[in-house]
Order: sequence, then C-alpha cells, then structure tokens
Amino acid sequence: MAFIDLDRVSRRFGKHRALDDVTLHLEPGRIGLLGPNGAGKSTLLKILLGLLPLSSGSGRVLGYPLEAPAHGLGLFNPVRALRAMFGSGSALRRSIGYMPEADALVPGTTGAQYVALAGELYGMPRRQALRRAHEVLTYLDLEDARYRKLEEYSTGMKQRLKLAQALVHDPPVLLLDEPTSGMDPAGRERMLDLLLCLGRDHGKVILLSTHLLGDVEKVCETVVILHRGKVLLQGVVAQLRARRHDRYRLQIQGPPQAFLEELRLEGVEVLHDNGRGELRVAVPPGWVTRAFFALADNHGVLVRGLQPDDEALEELFHRVIGEAR
Amino acid sequence: MATGAAQDVTLLHYRPWRGEFRSPVWGVWPIARTALGMLLRRKLFWFLYAAGLLIFLMFFFGTFLLDWAQTQLSNTPFELSATERKVRSTDLIRMAQRGLRVLNGSQETFAYFFMYQGAMLMVVLALAGSVLVGNDFHFGSLPFYLSKPLSRWHYILGKCLAVGVVVNLLTTLPALVLYAQHGLDEWEYFTDPEFFWRTNSGTGPAGLPLLLGVLGYGLLLTVFLSVTLVATASWVRRTMPLIMVWTTVFLFFRLLSSILVDGLHYDEHWRLIDLWNDLRLVGYACLGIDQRRVVPFPQPQVHEAALVLGAVCLLCLTYLNLRTRAVEIVK
Repeated sequence: MAFIDLDRVSRRFGKHRALDDVTLHLEPGRIGLLGPNGAGKSTLLKILLGLLPLSSGSGRVLGYPLEAPAHGLGLFNPVRALRAMFGSGSALRRSIGYMPEADALVPGTTGAQYVALAGELYGMPRRQALRRAHEVLTYLDLEDARYRKLEEYSTGMKQRLKLAQALVHDPPVLLLDEPTSGMDPAGRERMLDLLLCLGRDHGKVILLSTHLLGDVEKVCETVVILHRGKVLLQGVVAQLRARRHDRYRLQIQGPPQAFLEELRLEGVEVLHDNGRGELRVAVPPGWVTRAFFALADNHGVLVRGLQPDDEALEELFHRVIGEAR
Repeated sequence: MATGAAQDVTLLHYRPWRGEFRSPVWGVWPIARTALGMLLRRKLFWFLYAAGLLIFLMFFFGTFLLDWAQTQLSNTPFELSATERKVRSTDLIRMAQRGLRVLNGSQETFAYFFMYQGAMLMVVLALAGSVLVGNDFHFGSLPFYLSKPLSRWHYILGKCLAVGVVVNLLTTLPALVLYAQHGLDEWEYFTDPEFFWRTNSGTGPAGLPLLLGVLGYGLLLTVFLSVTLVATASWVRRTMPLIMVWTTVFLFFRLLSSILVDGLHYDEHWRLIDLWNDLRLVGYACLGIDQRRVVPFPQPQVHEAALVLGAVCLLCLTYLNLRTRAVEIVK
C-alpha cells in the first residue's frame, strides 16, 4: 500500500494557490520534503493530516481518503457538522504523529503532563498515556526535565518535547515540520540521529519537511522538491543526484603548484581548491584517471584520494529550482 | 567511538506501544482538565471563589439566624434606648418573616441566590477567560490540539466544559447544597411539590419541580456563559480586553436598556439587549416564577429572551467555527 497517493491536488486560499496540481505517489520510507519558504510544504503537511480540505483533486494517505472540497460553513449543513463533530479524519490522524514547526506548547504544564495529554488526546487511557509519556521522554533524553514547566525548556528541549508528543502513541508515520529549526549544531546532530534511528531501526515512515538540505541528506532516502506549490522533482536521492563522469574529487599531498599547472595545460579545469590538498576538477572528454597519478608522480605529489564528484543534494536542489525559474 | 547522541540512542531503546485507542470524545475531558488545572493553580481564583462562597454562606447560615431570631423575639419585647421608642417584637418578627421569604428555600430563594452569585461569577469568568481559553490562541497551542484525532468541535466542547465546571462550582453546586439543606430540615420539602402552599410558608413549587428548576437555571448559565466566554476569549485573548468586552456586554448594555426603557419609556423590547436580564427572565421561567413578578416592569416575553440568548450562542459558535478553522491554516 502506498503511503501517499495524491492526484492533481490543489489548495487555494482566496486567489493564492498554495498547492497547484500536485500529483505524488510515495512508498513508505524516509522522505524529505524540500522547498524554499512559501513553497507549500506546511500546507501539504496539513492536507496529509486531514486538517485542510482539498480545493480540487483527490488523494489517499495510508489508505484513508482525504477530505473532499469544502463548501459553506459546515455549521449550517447538518451532515457536515455531524461528520466534523464525530471525527472526520480522526482515524487518519491517529496513525500519524505530527510535530508542528511552531512551539504549540500548553503553558503551565510540565513536560510529562504535556506528553501525557497528547497521549490522551490520541485516545490512550490516562494511566497508559502517563506511563508512555515517561518512557518516551526518557528515550529522548528529557528524563531529568520531565517535571519542569515548559516555559523553562530550551529551544532544543522544546523540539525534542514536540517529537515526544508526536511519538507518544507509537504511530507508524511521523510528519515533522522543520524539526531542527532554531537548534544549535550539537542539538541538531542529536535530533537527526534520533530521526534516522526511528526511521531505519524502528520502521517509522518519516516525512521530513525542511529547507535545510543537510537534514534531508542525513536522514532521508527519498526526496520531494516543492516550489511555488508545484512538485518539481521526486525520487530516490541517490538516483536523482546526477552521475557526472567528467568531475572528480582529488586529495593530494605535496607541493601542488606545478601539478596544478600541468593539469591546466592538459585541459583539466580546477573548480575548487580549498588550499589543504582537496580539489574538485572537471576533466576534458577522453580523459583517463590514470593520468592524474602519472602527472602527480612527475611533480613529486602523492594522490591520496580520487573519487567521482557526483552531484550533491544542494546542487541538485539549486539546479531544479533554477530550471523552474 | 560513538558520539554522545549515538550512545543515547543505542542505550535507551525505543519501545513500541500496543494498546487500544478510545473514541475522540474521550479527549474532551483532558482538554477541560488541563484548562482547569491552570486556573486552579492561581491564588486569585481561590480568593474570588472564597468571595463567591461568602454569598452562599450568607444564604446557608441566614436561614438558621432568622429561625433563631424568630424564636428569640416572639416572647421578648425590648426598648431602643437611643430613640426612646418601643419596638414590639411582632414588628421584628414581620421583618424576619420578610427575610425568611428570601431564605425559606422557595423559588424566590434560588432566584436571589443565582442573581447575587451571578455577579461574582461574571467577575471570575472575566478574569479566568484568558487562562481557560485565551492562552491557547495567544501561545499557539491550537495546532497541538487539532493535530490529534479530535475535531475542532471536540476542542470547543472541552473548553466549554472547563468554563462550565467553573460556572457550576459557583452557582449550581452551592444551590444544590442549599436545596439539600432545606430538604434535610423538613423532609416533605423534597417529596411534596405543594409544600409551600400547604404550610403557608412561601410561594411556588417545592420538591422535584424546584430541583429541576434549579438545575435548569444552572444549565442555562452553563451553556450560555461557556459559549460566550470561549468565543470572547478566543477573540480578545488577554485579560484586560476581556474584562472590557465583558463589562460592555453585561454592564453597559444593562445601563443602556434601563435608560431606554425606564428613563425614556421606549418599548420594553429594548431590554432584550441586556443579556443578563434575558438570562434572568429565562432562569426565572425555569424556576416557575411568574413573569409579572419580575422587576423592573415591563419586561419582554420569556420566549423572546430565549430567542436572543439562542441567537447569541449561535453567533458565538459560528465565530468559533471560523476561528478554529483559521488557526489550522495560519499557525
């Protein structure tokens, strides 16, 4: 069963089209949702959660159909009002743990109370919700802070707490909206390790919405690039990154000047030299890699590393966005 | 060597949970409980609640006091030396009996009780609104609630339930204690609806009809005030603006209607803009009090007041529907 199946889905807010004819078919896995600010990532997440009805199109998430286009207030339509009252989209949201981008904390509560409350709202009995809250907080290394008021939490702790409330009912799917936003590098690494562990070792389907390419590169195996409400690209990261047979990364040891000069004379373009013996070069057609070693040997340089320079995710992202413009 | 984060992940294993989920309706009470928990932690609430209980205690012990006064004064005439005027005990007894009509457990007792207690209730609600509801909008907690398997109506119901608990703690619950107090004094008060006519000690029904009237008045206050408070607090969010709106709706409109009808002799329907008066009219009807006994006179019809209250509730619910939907879109 596909995790997400969207067919020509659009969502308008007045005249603004937040999502425009989005067609997506994603299998379970670790999926990165990339896009600049205003690309429609958060709108897509809310549609997947069943919080926003579609303006047009159709779709299914985990087999549950997404809400049809809304007409009127709902309050004056008894059938719609009753559907809203008795749980439209509730079965879908029970299978999903959502970590919002905004703080979305309940002031005055402690960490344990907040996570237990989330468990109860998901439908867990109170006692089990409390026990599970302590377990999850311990897993996320918030054991010592669980009786502290939320107002006293640091940004990193708040992010982990939001992950805890999304995990409390052990959902098969996690929707994460900018989970590393505002975190310091160490905290960010820690969060990404946790997400990778949850996805890889515990089989959680992760949809990670972010504009930080490094987060996606570390955690995700599949990527969807959104821009101005449209899907520009989707697929497995390793397959999407272009194989560039004319580019190499070189690591050398020894005086580089003469070696570099010789390379240039042979038609090799040095794209980047970090000054510490690491180079990125573009070679002319018909170049054989053995030539690097021969030239280096001529100039007393040791080639310590040589590997193809495939496209990085960042380059892929900029290329795709640039083509769209 | 593994990093600290990696070590933690390795050491503290994630454990799956395999349990049964309950219906989303079960989420309503935790929402109310959390809101109440925040309110009950405030000393100001307990101070105001204690002040509210003073009115209840006045009614509770007033009965005993007047009983005692009636017994004491029936045989002991005495002089007021300052005025050198003799006051006969019968005059004082008459005065005590007038007081007893308010404190004898009849429909009038509960009408006065709800009126006095209502004033304190309005103060408490104006101060509690931002804690119970407004903070969710101010601190952006709504995405937390709405991303769970609840609909927005479950959320609204939870918040109304929290306000309803406060309303009932200050009105219906003490009123029921008063009812029980009178019933324990004379058991027939519980069982005989004709008790007051038979004993010639008051007016209106006793027993179950009176109990239902008290519960009806309490329910009316609960539903109307919870819906209006949740709507108002989600609109203005903070305490001071909430007090200003509350004062305008329940005090300024009251004065305005009084000026229009009593001062300028406009049609009595202008009293309908005074929501507290509308609540009083419908509440008195629940207690079985004749509309002609409601002062000031003239008053609009009960069904007209009920219509206005219903319309205000509907307006508030429509606003809440739009307000919570907007929050889903704009964090």
